[in-house]
Amino acid sequence: MSELQADKLVDGTLARHAPPAPLRSRRLFTALSNAWHELRKSRTASIGAVMLVLLFGACIGTPWLATHDPIKQNYRERLQPPSAKHLLGTDRLGRDIYSRLLYGGRRLVTIAVVAVALSLLVGVPFGVLTGYFGGLADTIGMRIVDGLLAFPGLLLYLLFVTVAQAWKLEGAMVDVVLVSALALAGMPEKARLARGSVLAEKQKEYVEASRAVGDSSVRIALSQILPNIISPLIVTSTVRLGFVILIVAALSFLGLGTPPPTPDWGSDLSAARDYMETHPLIAAFPGLAICYTVLAFNLFGDGLRDILDPRIAER
Amino acid sequence: MLAYTLRRIAQLVPVLLVLSVAVFAFVEALPGSIVDTLVGTEGGDIEEARAILTKEYGLDRPVHERYVLWLGRALQGDLGKSLVTRRPISTELLSRIPATVYLASVGIVLSMLIAVPLGTFAAVRRNSAVDYTAQVTSLAGISIPEFWFAILCVLLFSLYLGWLPSSGYVSPLEDFWGSLQFLILPAAAIGFRQAAFTTRLTRSSMLDELSKEYVDTARSLGHSERKVIFKYTLRNAMIPTITISGLQLANLLGGTVVLESIFAWPGIGRAIFEAILQRDYPLIQAGVLVLGVIVVVMNLLVDLTYRLLNPRVKLA
Amino acid sequence: MSDEATKKGNERTRRSFLTATTALAGTALVGEHAFADARKRNPKRGGTLRFGTRDDSIALDTHRNIIYFVSHPLTGITGGLVDFDDKMQPKPAVAESWDSSSDLMTWTFKLRRGAEYHNGQTIDAESVKWNIERIKDPKTSHAFTRSVLSDVERVTVDDKHTIRFHLKEAHAALDINLIYYPVNLMAPGAVDTVDTHPVNCGPFKFKSWRRLDVCELVRFENFWETDSEGNSLPYLDGLIGRPKKEDRVRLTALRTGELDLIDNVAYADAPAFKKDHGKTFETYPVPQVGTAMMFFNLKNGLLSEKDNPDAHLLRQAIAHAIDHEGIHQAVFNGIGEISKGFYSSASPWHSKDIEGWPKFDPDKAKSLRKKAKGGDEKFTIIANDTFPYMQQSGELVHAMLKDAGFNAVLEILPSPVMLEKQNKGDYNIDSTANSYRLDPDGWYGRNILSSAPENRRRIGYKNEKADQIILAARKERDPVKRRLMYADVETLVNRDLPMLYTHFVPLMMAGNRARVKNYAVSYSGPWSYSGAGMRRTWIEG
Repeated sequence: MSELQADKLVDGTLARHAPPAPLRSRRLFTALSNAWHELRKSRTASIGAVMLVLLFGACIGTPWLATHDPIKQNYRERLQPPSAKHLLGTDRLGRDIYSRLLYGGRRLVTIAVVAVALSLLVGVPFGVLTGYFGGLADTIGMRIVDGLLAFPGLLLYLLFVTVAQAWKLEGAMVDVVLVSALALAGMPEKARLARGSVLAEKQKEYVEASRAVGDSSVRIALSQILPNIISPLIVTSTVRLGFVILIVAALSFLGLGTPPPTPDWGSDLSAARDYMETHPLIAAFPGLAICYTVLAFNLFGDGLRDILDPRIAER
Repeated sequence: MLAYTLRRIAQLVPVLLVLSVAVFAFVEALPGSIVDTLVGTEGGDIEEARAILTKEYGLDRPVHERYVLWLGRALQGDLGKSLVTRRPISTELLSRIPATVYLASVGIVLSMLIAVPLGTFAAVRRNSAVDYTAQVTSLAGISIPEFWFAILCVLLFSLYLGWLPSSGYVSPLEDFWGSLQFLILPAAAIGFRQAAFTTRLTRSSMLDELSKEYVDTARSLGHSERKVIFKYTLRNAMIPTITISGLQLANLLGGTVVLESIFAWPGIGRAIFEAILQRDYPLIQAGVLVLGVIVVVMNLLVDLTYRLLNPRVKLA
Repeated sequence: MSDEATKKGNERTRRSFLTATTALAGTALVGEHAFADARKRNPKRGGTLRFGTRDDSIALDTHRNIIYFVSHPLTGITGGLVDFDDKMQPKPAVAESWDSSSDLMTWTFKLRRGAEYHNGQTIDAESVKWNIERIKDPKTSHAFTRSVLSDVERVTVDDKHTIRFHLKEAHAALDINLIYYPVNLMAPGAVDTVDTHPVNCGPFKFKSWRRLDVCELVRFENFWETDSEGNSLPYLDGLIGRPKKEDRVRLTALRTGELDLIDNVAYADAPAFKKDHGKTFETYPVPQVGTAMMFFNLKNGLLSEKDNPDAHLLRQAIAHAIDHEGIHQAVFNGIGEISKGFYSSASPWHSKDIEGWPKFDPDKAKSLRKKAKGGDEKFTIIANDTFPYMQQSGELVHAMLKDAGFNAVLEILPSPVMLEKQNKGDYNIDSTANSYRLDPDGWYGRNILSSAPENRRRIGYKNEKADQIILAARKERDPVKRRLMYADVETLVNRDLPMLYTHFVPLMMAGNRARVKNYAVSYSGPWSYSGAGMRRTWIEG
């Protein structure tokens, strides 16, 4: 299941709800403080924001917050419940779960952010340009996107990761391949979103006006249209961030996840399956970490959508 | 509209070609060969055996030649034989695809049966208890890793409560009511996540529609609230919901690997996954192509449906 | 006697003579089918057993694919010349008796009369010859299956029930190598359907199979084996195999009553399961499905004498760094035994007098490592991702070696890639395992003998003394002497360290007490063996 086709909303709905013109021209500081005020309007966005701040804080502060080396094993201390020494207990190989969660989270969030950023960087210009210029460029571009989307479900990832796993790739390179696969799979959504917005905006007055004044097409495209599609993009990106984390967890379950001993929530959760009945906490902690993170991204995205859409006012 | 449709159908062909080339390239890039696995490691006649098998499977030819040969045969309907089971690929696919389609469609339908009323209700009665419950559960539904949720379901509903069988499959053609028993847990696992997603979608579409001018107009004209909701807003809100659900279904077809592993469901997702692991090249290629065709066709149908239902959007 | 009476008497005599000869002729014509009618079934014992397994066969041709007789339900259809008992010793099956020439170069097998394939065809010497030739043909068989017959030069048919094996080299244990796995017999007349509907000669007949879904077998009514009362085996009416990969789900299916027997209780569950559920479920421990060990790459690289003069020192350092108790606890959850050699304590081939490998001594490990050349260089541990215990042992060993200061890297890889890396020598340590070998030569002669292809491919070990002992042991008829010879080889192995034995791989089956009656599992896991196992089981209720 995926939200790859959420862009369908764009064609009729979201794109019409661009923020009013004055917001675009304010300066950064006022923009940010306005943003904070806006944020406070939506409870979901606020909760999501707080959760995200805690999450990113933990990721950044990992080297100081962690109590143990996440890959150090000690079979004499395996499967222990939470204690003063091991805040969340130890796993089946005696590793400290708390430290593993911190390092795992750091890596996972980095992968997610980079993957989504990449898909934006590639997808958005692609979509904007094909949408703006239309014609053959549009046709070919959209068929490429269709081709990517035709890889059903997890298959694209399976193929990518199997290849990466099987080559003599060291830890970091495997991550690079994973990120590329995630970025590639997420690109169509952004492209179609951008394209849809462009199609809707193309007819508006200010575009005609700019053209009349003589601005070049590309400048028009990037400078006038781009700011208007930021809001739906932000929303779908935050949702995609959460989704990427679930995909990585699913790949770990299938044995295509992070090779051990690198800490990874998905791998740890997957490895803890055997102990679900005898030592449920070992599985609970990485599972809850995943839920928390995905929830945080989704709440924030939800709240953003509510804020950025002036027609849907929260009472 | 007709011209657009025909154009899009014509464009399916290059898309599928590109897909097949991409898969072929990937499969080439997979190191480790099935010949190694079959030849094994013992016996002094390894090289001879390897030569025989390589020739038999046609792996001694260059990749572009193999691709063209494969394409030619595929277009005539001959997808070749599995290198592992040595049975025709069509047999392998036909024995697996129905199970996945069964699971995915029931999962989606189930999810919509729950999500649409729930999402509508939540939108209509904003900030009520139902709304909050709907929001919370649907947020939970899209935040849980699928395999974990599935195993928890098995433990709860099968082991502790004893209500349902833990795993397995019976074809609905053999025993319809019996097959439902086995279908419930895996379909629920799919359905829960889908329902979560569709609830949110329905809710936001409904909210969107409810805030439009024509609603106030209809109300001021004296139409009952119920009529306003069901006759106008719901119908309009359903457009994106249905179209996206159609796409979700198409996407699910290859994405059920995880659930198929856990519930011992003999589907195509797992078959292709295993084929990748075993380097069963013909099955990988045929499987991805067939699924790709289904996905692409469904995408097209959804696009057309959407444009039919929503004339406000200009055809690009 | 009156003439009348004499005539009548003669008449009677003639009639009975005719009857007798007709009967004999009829038997000769009808063949052994006459025996089939005499088979009786135990009227009370039957039922269909639902068997949950972790794995499933990948295809139906039992020559071309390895059928694991521990965890593949399809095993039920396989049968062959030789069976084995619960201690893995050879027993007659389709071959009623056999003998070898004094020079061990020719083996003669006498076939049982009345044995049939599942399609009613008689198992005669010609069909056995066809099978052997099919197995020896690389076009139609798996390399492993083929390798057990590598010493067989040709097979000749003496008469309908006698078949003779002519060996290239003398071998004391050819009979063990002809057990029904892998040398299983299939009906030549049904070779066209070998991939869709196999026709073999085992206790169960093939009914249907959907990979990873279900394997349905039914009793073969004309199976040659009977119990002590003359009832034909197997008792079961049918066997339904249900592959369920997920440990949690398989165990749940047993506990909810969806399955009667499962092949594998996860190590994490095993200790508690017996305690908590022992009243409802019977557990069947398998002491040794196989043996886990670390192979060292002696062909090339850091741990090979060819590239590093201090390689042996480094290997010793590595051995000192590995805490076997840790593997015992963390990987196998305290189940099973640590291994010093290939055979565990309850196996007839076990020897107490083996000199063990270097003991766990982290300080010694560190000092040896510092002393040895290349002690700081990077090296790779590879492990197959198919088997959790191989993977986990790899992880654990990796951590232990890193603790000792080794610059070790771990790679978990799928089988096709493992094969490639092994072939190229692109690794230093291989965390692996091997299944139990009924014939010790199957282990020593393949992995320690310097001329063996598998050894040459993966390890590259050569010790002339070991070679001598192994080659001599191959021809040694006395099992006691043979066992001691292999013990000497183990001592050499534990000194030279071409590999480091780590642990025996145990297994625990579990079944529903109320339903599964009279089941027992053999020493290394197969569930269909001489007059026992699944053949003697029945279902109640």
